[in-house]
Amino acid sequence: MIEYIIKIKRKTKTIFTDRWVWRMAWRDARHNYSRLILFTASLITGIAAVVALDSLNRSLQNDIDNNAKELLGADLVVTGDKKFAPEVKTFFDSLKYPQASEADMASMVLFLHNGQSRLIRLVALRGNFPFYGEIETQPANAYRKVKRGRYAMLDETLASQYEVSSDDSLRIGNSVFKVAGVVKKIPGGGGIMTTFTPSVYISLDDLDSTGLVQFGSRVNYKQYFKIYSEKQKAATVEKIRPLLRKHGYRFDTVEERKQDLGEGFQSIYRFFSLLAFIALILGCIGVASSVHIYAREKREEVAVLRCVGSSGWQAFNIFFIQIFLLGIIGSIIGSVLGVSIQQLIPFFLEGVIPFELTFAISWQSLALGLLIGTVVSILFSILPLVGVRFVPPLTVLRTDSQPVRVFSKTKITAIVLIALFPMAFAAIQTKSIMTGGMFFLGLVAALGCLAGVAVILLMIVRKFFPHRAGFIWRHSLSSLFRPNNQTRVLMVTIGLGAFIISTLNIVEQSMLGQVEFTGQENQSNTILFDIQPSQKDGVVKLMNDNKLKVNQVVPIITCRLSELKGRTVDSLQRDTSDRVPNWALTREYRVTYRGSLHHSEELIKGKVQYKSAVNDSIFVTISEGMEENLEVKIGDSLVFDVQGVPVKAYISGVRKVDWPKDPPNFIFVFPNGVLEGAPQIYVTATRIDDQQQANRFQQELVMQFPNVSLIDLRLILGTINDLFDKLGLIIRFLALFSIVTGLVVLAGAVINSKFVRIKENVLLRTVGARTRQITQITLIEYAYLGLFSALTGMILSLGGGWLLTKFFFEITFAFDWIELLTIGFGVIILTMAIGWFNSREVITTPPLQVLRKES
Amino acid sequence: MSQTVLQAENLTKIYRSAERDLVVLDHISFAVEQGNSISIIGPSGSGKTTLLGLCAGLDTPSSGTISLMGFKLNNMSEDDRAYIRNQYVGFVFQNFQLLSTLTALENVMVPLELRGERNVMNKAKELLHRVGLGDRVHHYPSQLSGGEQQRVAMARAFITDPKILFADEPTGNLDEENATHITELLFNLNKEQGTTLVLVTHNLDLAQRTQRILRMKGGKLVQDVYSPSIAR
Repeated sequence: MIEYIIKIKRKTKTIFTDRWVWRMAWRDARHNYSRLILFTASLITGIAAVVALDSLNRSLQNDIDNNAKELLGADLVVTGDKKFAPEVKTFFDSLKYPQASEADMASMVLFLHNGQSRLIRLVALRGNFPFYGEIETQPANAYRKVKRGRYAMLDETLASQYEVSSDDSLRIGNSVFKVAGVVKKIPGGGGIMTTFTPSVYISLDDLDSTGLVQFGSRVNYKQYFKIYSEKQKAATVEKIRPLLRKHGYRFDTVEERKQDLGEGFQSIYRFFSLLAFIALILGCIGVASSVHIYAREKREEVAVLRCVGSSGWQAFNIFFIQIFLLGIIGSIIGSVLGVSIQQLIPFFLEGVIPFELTFAISWQSLALGLLIGTVVSILFSILPLVGVRFVPPLTVLRTDSQPVRVFSKTKITAIVLIALFPMAFAAIQTKSIMTGGMFFLGLVAALGCLAGVAVILLMIVRKFFPHRAGFIWRHSLSSLFRPNNQTRVLMVTIGLGAFIISTLNIVEQSMLGQVEFTGQENQSNTILFDIQPSQKDGVVKLMNDNKLKVNQVVPIITCRLSELKGRTVDSLQRDTSDRVPNWALTREYRVTYRGSLHHSEELIKGKVQYKSAVNDSIFVTISEGMEENLEVKIGDSLVFDVQGVPVKAYISGVRKVDWPKDPPNFIFVFPNGVLEGAPQIYVTATRIDDQQQANRFQQELVMQFPNVSLIDLRLILGTINDLFDKLGLIIRFLALFSIVTGLVVLAGAVINSKFVRIKENVLLRTVGARTRQITQITLIEYAYLGLFSALTGMILSLGGGWLLTKFFFEITFAFDWIELLTIGFGVIILTMAIGWFNSREVITTPPLQVLRKES
Repeated sequence: MSQTVLQAENLTKIYRSAERDLVVLDHISFAVEQGNSISIIGPSGSGKTTLLGLCAGLDTPSSGTISLMGFKLNNMSEDDRAYIRNQYVGFVFQNFQLLSTLTALENVMVPLELRGERNVMNKAKELLHRVGLGDRVHHYPSQLSGGEQQRVAMARAFITDPKILFADEPTGNLDEENATHITELLFNLNKEQGTTLVLVTHNLDLAQRTQRILRMKGGKLVQDVYSPSIAR
């Protein structure tokens, strides 16, 4: 026979023109609901997270834009920590715009109806503040009463905490005020800060009568301006800027406030974006994982199609169409779910942000969800699906036949796009290529670490496999190594959820550890400050009378810098090349004097503060960090303006200060024999464990020494707890997305390995296993999986938490074993529940039915 | 003069591994004429199924050539070979290989649909009726017995009026009654449609019903005889 080659002239149809692949896609999908629903579920969780957070961000931006003026209450506000200098006041008077004044300071308030007292922020107002927005009070006329004098109104949280009603009275300093009502909303106020220091509002005309403003009192002054046009505002800002810089005051405009707020929320948004990003990537892993298993399951089917004449692309298209259409459906559901979830987020953010969040459907977010969902479903399914093209038809005869080609252009393109996708998504979300890159690297590092820990754990299990353990324990453990079980993917995804929650818990515990006094008998937990020299002995006596140990009585002198390294502050301010921040040059410093280090201090450079016997030179120590801000080193000179008296000093050493430990602590410490004659106030500290004793002491203190303020650190501890409760709820809510995705992947793996399990169970039943034993094996297998996933996440969270506390928060690393174990236990129970729920059919199906099905 | 539909020349298949090369088929040559029936027999591991796979274009030989319907399969891409299979070849497998997500009718329709033909349902129904499953057309494979599944597979194999039908142990998974029924169907359809039949089997009774028997051993063709005389 003559050999000849005939060129095949077959028509190649595209996915759009080949009706058969669409028909086959539908026919095949009818029986794959459960597997494809899992794919969709993975996508839905990721898209829902992205849409919810993107939509929230757009709402926040809109609300900031709409409320900008109300957030400041004025067009321009000048602030300072000292009374406005005559030159500045003259300038204010020369301006013909409406103005309002404010002074605020820390003070004690005594609630006369119940005798309780606490530290508050006293806000004294004069004029028609606010110029934009309004102060919402209950009753509505409360602010009018306050303006008339002798009335006070207080933040809603404070009023409810101390059960204050309109008929009650407050004692602030030497004055008693009737309660006019509560403040529900005030421009520039609200937000998380009110939780730390709730405010009481009085008229500025009443401030002097309280006798609180004494020497050494820390008062912040504000002057509000309403300026009618942008042009006038620009001109005023231009004129006022050098004057304020000269005197060390600051100013704020609506635009700056908006920008600050925007930047503040940008951080929150970036954090949320990170969580959304993680949820989406987990969703992508879920998509890729379920499609991978799906494609493997379809090998034989594809081989049959290849035998009867289907091309590789046709086989690929059948499954691609299914995934693509379901991807669109999943994206729609995810987007709608995301918008619904967004309605819940303001509830979590209530009290954290200084304005009410309005709810609006963001069409851009919905479009983003649809787009990303479609891209994800295409991108992350192509890679596992592309193998379908190369399934050898010989598989119908030999199931272990391997494809001839392993790499294809499609596969390489998919790999490149998959690598680029997370980076591009993060860059778009954070609007920064740099941050996007960092997100990506962080994710790769986190997933790499999680995968590394998972691999090591599994290696350890293999190495130390309990060969002598009972059959059920041994068999269920070995099930983790079953082919197609996705054990590592599951450990990474569920472990990531456990990691986020555990890390949050560790940071929370470490922060609380900073202010936790339980078991630290000698630590002060109550600080008394603003004690005048004439009151010093009286306060100490009062403490002794109340059987309170006086831990320390520290003198405090207020001063400012006038020269730094031989240059005046004025010249440094004018020098644009100088990098020392203006706030560090113009701020008021509260310094003390002593001959040795306090036990919260450690000398890390140079010598302890001293006065040279030779030439009377004064050597002071500076706290670590501040020497960098001021750009000074040992031996550099500084001139302090101590109440008008210049005092020249040199840096002798640098102290590392454990700020939260036994306060007060100081930036500058002078040696003895220098400042004893300067005007000074005192701070003292003690420890009170009994709440009743604390109440009694505070009451007596406020009555006898109304200007002396008291900080109850236990109250701060409670506030930090509250803060973490609020923020933690948001983070846990979002971390839930990753847990849910992990569980979706788990459910997928369980369902897809069902047939392997059925075979095993049939064998086990044939040799006599009872349903109870099979149930036990199944449950223990998932308990192992949950345990290893939790361990993976928690081992990494201990490392991550340590790094975060040491380098980011710079606090002592601490964690609570019991809470971590609770998290781990929760993960195990969830994993077991999902595993069992999806395995019910495998457990309960009679062997004969299974055998018939198998055959 | 009858046409050669299948020609194998010096067909060799070697599976290479790191340790050693395994010669599964060793220089096999034979030709099959249009309308003939041929069976390949031999002990397990003798290379029967590998030979069938190569002849049907499901795999490629390490050396040697295969021509199917005059097309030299060696030089073709996988998709071109698929096209050839769709145009000229039918298959019946030991484990039926029906698509589990398709009904009996849909399974039978697939090869013609792949060709792009329309209105194929009636032909598929006729064939299912012909194999005795007229009342089971909308049943899924899992709802059919083994014998019924194999009959669906036969209907699918014959719906394209193939020039050549490859059958790998077509009765291997069936009881005697079903096996007899399938065998009758196979030979009747072969006769009616003039299809060339290539059978791989262990069943000598079945093999003896074909016109020619190739006996394999250790990857070599050790006997090539025409029925009915075959050494047992």
